[in-house]
Amino acid sequence: MISDIFLTIITMVFALMVVFSKKTVVSAFALLMTMLSIAMIYFQLGTVFLAAIQVLINAGAIAVLFIFVMMLINLEQFQNNREKGKVKLVISAITILIILGVFALIINNNIEVLAVNNIADNSMLLMFDKLFHVYYLPFEMATVLLLAALVACVVITGHEKNAKVELEGDKHE
Amino acid sequence: MSSIYYYLAGFLFCTGLLGTIFKKDLISILLCLELMMGGVSLLTVLFSRSTGVLESQLLVFFMLIVSACEVAIGLSLIIALYRKKQTIYTDDIKIITE
Repeated sequence: MISDIFLTIITMVFALMVVFSKKTVVSAFALLMTMLSIAMIYFQLGTVFLAAIQVLINAGAIAVLFIFVMMLINLEQFQNNREKGKVKLVISAITILIILGVFALIINNNIEVLAVNNIADNSMLLMFDKLFHVYYLPFEMATVLLLAALVACVVITGHEKNAKVELEGDKHE
Repeated sequence: MSSIYYYLAGFLFCTGLLGTIFKKDLISILLCLELMMGGVSLLTVLFSRSTGVLESQLLVFFMLIVSACEVAIGLSLIIALYRKKQTIYTDDIKIITE
């Protein structure tokens, strides 16, 4: 019970850091810590496989990818002279509070339905049985989706021929 | 007592939404989208635990794959935009209006 509250507070603090920190690098590290604490919550709930996947993919790959891209495009050079839209912040904060209130209302009205039941210990076995028999086609389609994303990344970020010519021209000058 | 996690999932989603509306550079917006995604997957895992339906956990598995693709393509779009316009701030990008 205490660990539940502790994990919740840690996740909330890091989530707020993602949104309200001024430097983007700090936000990225806060996102990494948020993902790690969500993984701890998964462990707490007993879904061990998802916790491991969360650490590997979300914390390990995606957060590092963010930091890598930040290093690539050198954010710091134009980060200082940006004014903040305070009216925009107030309006969006009010909207968010209304949405949060709706969430709280729904959770409060269904509190008995939402109680955590215990799943048997072989839940992971059953899950993989389902994954490789019933949901075999979606699994294969996911690999195709990953391949498509890979090709799309290469095509989007690849140099065009004109840009290459310009670069070479700059070198000769 | 673990119903506190339901509130946490809602909080994560709303915080991410706030950042998505409020932030001005594209990388931060993408970070906040990831935060929203984390909230949604936490909620899905909680539903799987409360109803005993194992398919929800598989759904989270597929959501992770889709979010990885989303981040990869989003970041490559940001890099392509930075090469073309030399900026990643939403105020400076007026491709549609100009």
